[in-house]
Amino acid sequence: MGRTLAVAAALAGMSLLAACGGESAAPAAAPAGQPATVTFWGWAKGTQQVVDAFNKSHKDIQIKFEEIPSGNAGGYAKFANAVKAGNAPDVMSIEYPQLPDFVNQGALQDITAEIGDVKSKYPANVFSLVELGGKAWSLPMDAAPQVFFYRKDLFEANKIDVPKTWDDFRAAAEKVKKADDKARIATFFPDDPSVLTALSWQAGAKWFGTEGDAWKVSINDEATKKVADYWQGLVKDDLVKVQASFSQEWNAAFEDNSLWGYVGANWGAGVMKGNHAGQAGKWAIAPAPNWGTPASGMLGGTTFGVSANSKNTKASVEVIKWLTGSEEAWTSRLSSGTSSGFPAIPDLVPVAQKSFDASFYGGQDIYALFTEAYGSIQPGWTWGPSMVQVLTAFKDSLGKVSTGGTTIPEVLESVQQATVAEIKGRGLNVAA
Amino acid sequence: MATTVEAPPPPTRAKPRPSPRRTENWRRRGAITLFTAPFFVLFAGVIVAPLGYALYLSLFSEKSSGLGFGGKETVFVGLSNYLDTLADRAFTDGFLVVAGYCLIYIPLMIGGALALALLLDSGLARLSKFFQLALFMPHVVPGVIAGLIWLYLYTPGISPIIDLLGDVDFLGASNVLGSVVNIALWEWIGYNMIIYFAALQAIPREVIEAATIDGAGALRTAISVKLPLIRAAVITTVLFTIIGSLQLFTEPMVLDNPSDGVVSTWTPNMYAYTEAFAKNDYGQAAASSLILAGLAAALSFFVTRWGNRTR
Repeated sequence: MGRTLAVAAALAGMSLLAACGGESAAPAAAPAGQPATVTFWGWAKGTQQVVDAFNKSHKDIQIKFEEIPSGNAGGYAKFANAVKAGNAPDVMSIEYPQLPDFVNQGALQDITAEIGDVKSKYPANVFSLVELGGKAWSLPMDAAPQVFFYRKDLFEANKIDVPKTWDDFRAAAEKVKKADDKARIATFFPDDPSVLTALSWQAGAKWFGTEGDAWKVSINDEATKKVADYWQGLVKDDLVKVQASFSQEWNAAFEDNSLWGYVGANWGAGVMKGNHAGQAGKWAIAPAPNWGTPASGMLGGTTFGVSANSKNTKASVEVIKWLTGSEEAWTSRLSSGTSSGFPAIPDLVPVAQKSFDASFYGGQDIYALFTEAYGSIQPGWTWGPSMVQVLTAFKDSLGKVSTGGTTIPEVLESVQQATVAEIKGRGLNVAA
Repeated sequence: MATTVEAPPPPTRAKPRPSPRRTENWRRRGAITLFTAPFFVLFAGVIVAPLGYALYLSLFSEKSSGLGFGGKETVFVGLSNYLDTLADRAFTDGFLVVAGYCLIYIPLMIGGALALALLLDSGLARLSKFFQLALFMPHVVPGVIAGLIWLYLYTPGISPIIDLLGDVDFLGASNVLGSVVNIALWEWIGYNMIIYFAALQAIPREVIEAATIDGAGALRTAISVKLPLIRAAVITTVLFTIIGSLQLFTEPMVLDNPSDGVVSTWTPNMYAYTEAFAKNDYGQAAASSLILAGLAAALSFFVTRWGNRTR
């Protein structure tokens, strides 16, 4: 037995070593005369097409793209680990919320000097999300205004008005349930607190702020409580489904017509189109319901940063500028058909508008709608330094909401406490 | 292995040529080195070195100051990562989950595998080769894939099982432990059964014959003769099962998002993962991993001791 085990251990070890012995992602500076190779980790829809377009049109720089799991599904863990191990890629995709986390860890390079020429292309309230402590750490690719997707055919057949406010939304939710006992208007995602975050942002919440050199944490502020109470009511009265986001269960509910809507963001347009091709022409998009005046938060959105390990800063920044700010990049991303990204640079919106085939939405001018929602994004939002932890803390406790184990307002309190403790634990200052 | 190594000959004064005996000794030693070196190289590389690195990491913590945008520094914190880990309810609660898991899982697993192995061995079962293979098959499926397959069967709306059974919430907080046990049983019962079956086949047939002549029925033979004779195999599998349970990670990780019951710190291993990758606290992750490893080592020590004593 002992020997068998030893042999098994040796074999297992060997296969491990073989697995580790693969080509390392550790970026190295290119020898003179050779094209510089920039390694790039990302997961956004259509990225492969964008990279192909770049490699075709550039002789001096070539991108080596590696598709990784999306950030919260393990991509960030992979990146954090790679930085620690010293073999992170040159360019990494990071969503706005997680950027301060990675800057705190020292995972990214300060690229303030390199991107000075493109800063002015961005609206100030978006660029402020990538400028921390007076330095720029990444370049925004897209913005993610909130919208509401709904089954136009079913809404019309049952004479349900498209909700403009959250009060309307509740009324519509009741009508949907009345029209079809199995059907619901939308889903509450206990596993994806970023939706709750965006809804709070929309309602005027400000979870994080800074006061001198101290963080202010107010995850349980009044606006957030209002949103929490509202959704708690919808869950309690069984007016929305409670399902994991992007789960098979969720997709199956769309397919059997028991889910008539989705409170999401612009990028959902590509996802819905890709996953439910059979329902083409039946969907439409409306602005997200609001609390009285049109408003939006931001649900996700990707930026690109240069990793601290990279020795190719110059080439990497050039790649990032092209990925975020060139017409070719946006044309190839959106022509792939799977992405409905909304450029953070307003000048590029017409390019996106032209490239996205909106026939799934009956030819609706969805980019005009996105632009309007983009304009209504509430200013003054700041992401905290430990968003990965915040989202995990939310996820852990929101799961118990559907079984009545806790309520969304209670969750706010516990996450607030956990977050303050976490930030203090890292040695950072927290204002009382 | 070490017992076969002969003591080196007493040192002698240098001779112009080595004696034939000495050459043989050298050759043997060379062979031993050659054959054991890969093991020790790998053992050092994939066990000792990572353990050492984890130990090193566990003594440090990374601190930043102010808003944290000025970078961070690594500070020596002694044992405080260990103390913090042990004081963290999330970590200790993980052991309760694992204990509950073991209580359900180990009796079912060992009992089930034993029953199946005895059935196959009794000759009552037809197609014994087929069943051996069929029961072992799930073990070939990697844990993540098994988790995904079962997740599909547990998900309302798409699962044919739920359609049949009615409204069972496999992923709800009160049932999810059972659902995880079920996945693990499916994966491992065939594996343990094969070990028992091999041990049963190795029992000298005369012993069984003697029991039969003495008038013992099949059941009596199984309980009073066969079981005591394969005790060593049973103890080994219990040991592996306990250590495996302590390291419970893959299946609940797959169920983490869709299940209300599984949280990010559900088991001690998931706690270490969350510390490292959600909180970027590698020090505490290393400390909690080492505590877990120490516990597994202590447990295996006691189980083997106990196994030897009852022999």
